[in-house]
Amino acid sequence: MSWWRRGLNVFRQEGVSSDLDRELDFHIAERADELQASGMSEEEALREARRRLGNYTQQKERTWDVDVLGWLERLVADVRYALRTLRSNPGFATVAILSLALGIGANTAMFSLIDAVILKKLPVRDPDALVQILTTGGGDDFSNPLWEALHQHQTALAGVAAIGETRFNLSRGGEVRYAEGALVSGGFFDLLGVRAAAGRLIALSDDHRGCAAVAVLSNGMWQREYGGAQDALGRSISLNGRPYEIIGVAERSFFGVKVGRSVDVYIPICTEEAALRDPTLWFLNVIGRLKPDMAVAAANGHLQSIAQAVYAGALERADPNTPFFRPEPPDPAATISATPIARGLSPLRIDYSKALVVLMVLVAVVLLITCANVANLLLARSSARQREIAVRLSIGASRLRVIRQLMTESIVLALLSSIVSVLLALWGSRALVMLLSTSTSRVSLDLSIDARMLLFTLGAATIATLIFGAAPAWRAGFADPQKVLRSTGRGITGRSRLNPGKLLVIAQVGLSLPLIVAAGLLLGTLRKLTSDTGYTNAAVHFATLNLPGENERQRTVFDNVLERIRQTPGIDIASASQLMPLARQAWNGQFFVDGYQPPTSRDLLAFRNEVTDDYFATIGTRLLAGRDFDARDRPGTQLVAIVNTEFADHFYGTSAVVGRRFRVRSADGPEYEIIGVVQTARHRSLREKPERVVYTPWSQARNPAAAFTIAARGGTAPQFMNAMRTIARTVDPSMSLQFGSLNQQVAESTTRERILAFLSAAFGILALVLAVIGLYGIMAYNVARRRNEIGLRIALGSARARVVRLILGDAVWVLLPGLVLGLALIYTGIRFLESFLFGIAPTDPVTWTSSAAILLLVGLAAAGLPAWRASRVQPMAVLREE
Amino acid sequence: MRKQKQDILQGTLAMLVLKTLAVHDQMHGYAITAAIQRVSNELLRVEEGSLYPALHRMEQDGWVKAEWGLTEKNRQARFYRLTSAGRRQLAAEQAGWERLIQGVSLVLEQA
Repeated sequence: MSWWRRGLNVFRQEGVSSDLDRELDFHIAERADELQASGMSEEEALREARRRLGNYTQQKERTWDVDVLGWLERLVADVRYALRTLRSNPGFATVAILSLALGIGANTAMFSLIDAVILKKLPVRDPDALVQILTTGGGDDFSNPLWEALHQHQTALAGVAAIGETRFNLSRGGEVRYAEGALVSGGFFDLLGVRAAAGRLIALSDDHRGCAAVAVLSNGMWQREYGGAQDALGRSISLNGRPYEIIGVAERSFFGVKVGRSVDVYIPICTEEAALRDPTLWFLNVIGRLKPDMAVAAANGHLQSIAQAVYAGALERADPNTPFFRPEPPDPAATISATPIARGLSPLRIDYSKALVVLMVLVAVVLLITCANVANLLLARSSARQREIAVRLSIGASRLRVIRQLMTESIVLALLSSIVSVLLALWGSRALVMLLSTSTSRVSLDLSIDARMLLFTLGAATIATLIFGAAPAWRAGFADPQKVLRSTGRGITGRSRLNPGKLLVIAQVGLSLPLIVAAGLLLGTLRKLTSDTGYTNAAVHFATLNLPGENERQRTVFDNVLERIRQTPGIDIASASQLMPLARQAWNGQFFVDGYQPPTSRDLLAFRNEVTDDYFATIGTRLLAGRDFDARDRPGTQLVAIVNTEFADHFYGTSAVVGRRFRVRSADGPEYEIIGVVQTARHRSLREKPERVVYTPWSQARNPAAAFTIAARGGTAPQFMNAMRTIARTVDPSMSLQFGSLNQQVAESTTRERILAFLSAAFGILALVLAVIGLYGIMAYNVARRRNEIGLRIALGSARARVVRLILGDAVWVLLPGLVLGLALIYTGIRFLESFLFGIAPTDPVTWTSSAAILLLVGLAAAGLPAWRASRVQPMAVLREE
Repeated sequence: MRKQKQDILQGTLAMLVLKTLAVHDQMHGYAITAAIQRVSNELLRVEEGSLYPALHRMEQDGWVKAEWGLTEKNRQARFYRLTSAGRRQLAAEQAGWERLIQGVSLVLEQA
């Protein structure tokens, strides 16, 4: 028999027991036979045989100890007992398991998010050898000529590859349907060691001038769009209106090199002929692989030594006729360097890592509060079980055994909660990722259950168990059994000010206050950001139109569409602009004003937007002076413009600038007259400082139209979308449409703030609920303990109201120290939130006082019920319980 | 019948059981005690309380194997037999015992 069998025997204890009985009984029977043969009676023989074997139970037990693994047997017994106790206390079990599951689950969700965004390495071959190549000043963008020059000149690295991010419209006309795309160099897949799940991947042979238009799909895209069918290979896919042949599918685990972005379609860079010789288009990121045993420093040294050659090479490959390009000799201080990139490129990480860490801290606090709650629950229960434990101690159980058994209960609790928490974590982290995604930037992260996540859960559960389980177990195990067995729960109990239960609730209250304050501050930030944007709060629909082909037709087509939508019933007002509000791109230009001497060349700059008449009325930006664009403003008439107050103040020093003039592009450029002034609205994003913006009339525009976004108010979004689709189809079926709304734009601009506000509010509420439960529990327990005292007081004439005040007073003695503790915690920690706030100070008194007030009121309400119950105690009933 | 018999030293019980099984191929616990008693000319008597824990421990250590069977009287009994590891253990213990005897004798024979 080995460890294995001895362990197994723990689970077949009846079998082992009956086997032992049979063996010993046989021995006795044989002995009895022998004795009978020598003359004893049957009865005597049996008795003597039994006597000779010795104490039957003892023999059996000694053999049993050899057959069965002792510690495992005790453990299984403890676990079974724990499960039985939990089943017989369903209320306690549910509350404890759920609150632990919430606490552990929230932590695991945050961890898996942090793991996916910050910690995990790319799922490629040997990610530790990957580096990203950077240009001067750590810039990570390359133009194609620069990339090709680098590729040609570098020899130190095992390989380099380039990838450019882009989006492909899969539809041919009508509403757009986007897929995430990437332009890659020939060696890209090979460098990363990515394998094909079907067909073949883009290779070096596909990378040359005049290459064929081929495409590689991601596994996800292949499953979604083609059902994973083999015949997808060889089919044609339309990307931005151009056909590409599908030659293969990448393996399932590969999502690209940017964490948070999952590429759907890869095409070779060489298919974008226009970009190949353009030195002003910086659209590529370059990665490289170090040779085995090569250090980054060595690579850096080599790259620096070839930097000048590379930049010169880029110049040679550039097309000198590129607009806005002026060939210049390379800057002698220009650099090329490499930096390790095992975890992939990630703007997501840069944007969110601090926020994620803050959230992780908040959620850990929630776990602490949860543990305090469960510890209190356990303490209350162990007090109720004092007699049982005292009896066990007095009949010989060792203290260690009792403690071990209580700890086992805590462990079982923690394990059950862990199972639930894994499910909660999965759901929670996916919900988080959905919050992060917006309509134009989809975030995709690999959040499947993996070993790290499970290990984290177990770790959190272990720590939680130690925190909430150890203290009650210890206390129970060291109770004096005599004292307990003798006491009958009568008499006046002293008012112990500082029993552990109260301390725990004070800690809970203390930890909850910072969470509530943080939530208040972050919500305030969100509110400040989304109010006073310079746009209306009403629903504004947007449709961005794109017409492939020649430019002259575009303006007529767009005007046609605008005219039609204005006549659509249900639409109150419609207009159009080149740029949507809060679009993240912008155009700027230089503006020259008589009498204004710009201190730097930057002071000549202002943003531009082309808009039609009624634009400001549609989006809700107020016209403060002058007039809007109208039919008077046509090609050939005076060039006019409307400016915002920021522009006016900057260039003219006053807002009264109607009638003033400026020139564009140079001091002798075309002259514009200002006909109106609007309030300064946020142009690119909500967090920016106010920017100077000039609006020019669409009707006077001379350059080709880059894009055209229709803004409309009135009707519902589906009504608007249907109307636009019909109009677009009628006017020009090859036109592509993309819909949006002002709310969406605002939402996108505030994604991070929304997440922080939402989550901190959720955690704050969770903390509040837990603290309330804790407070209620401790007050109820107190009242129960002091029933005799209360009964006596009432019998001796105390008013019931006074009893209520007594109990509430107790509650205040818990809440106040908790609030003080909370204030101390906030004070030390609030600095970390500073960078996330906007328009509200970290020490905002309104937030602090209202948070404290909420906590106080809720706490008193929680204590109210036990207090009221206390006042209802019938003195005769209590005293009669003698 | 009582004073002359000596209770066997704990450590040697295993060796004697192993030897008995080596001679008799397979036996149940009761027969083992009877055999030891008989072969030693009643000089040795197994303490019945230690037999079964010892047998089970030897089974755990892999020196004996056990299975249920029927005796001639049609009673169910657990029969033990020696394993090859048990044979090796027996040889080792026997060698150790002989060294012990030699040593003790030398000491006792000194003048």
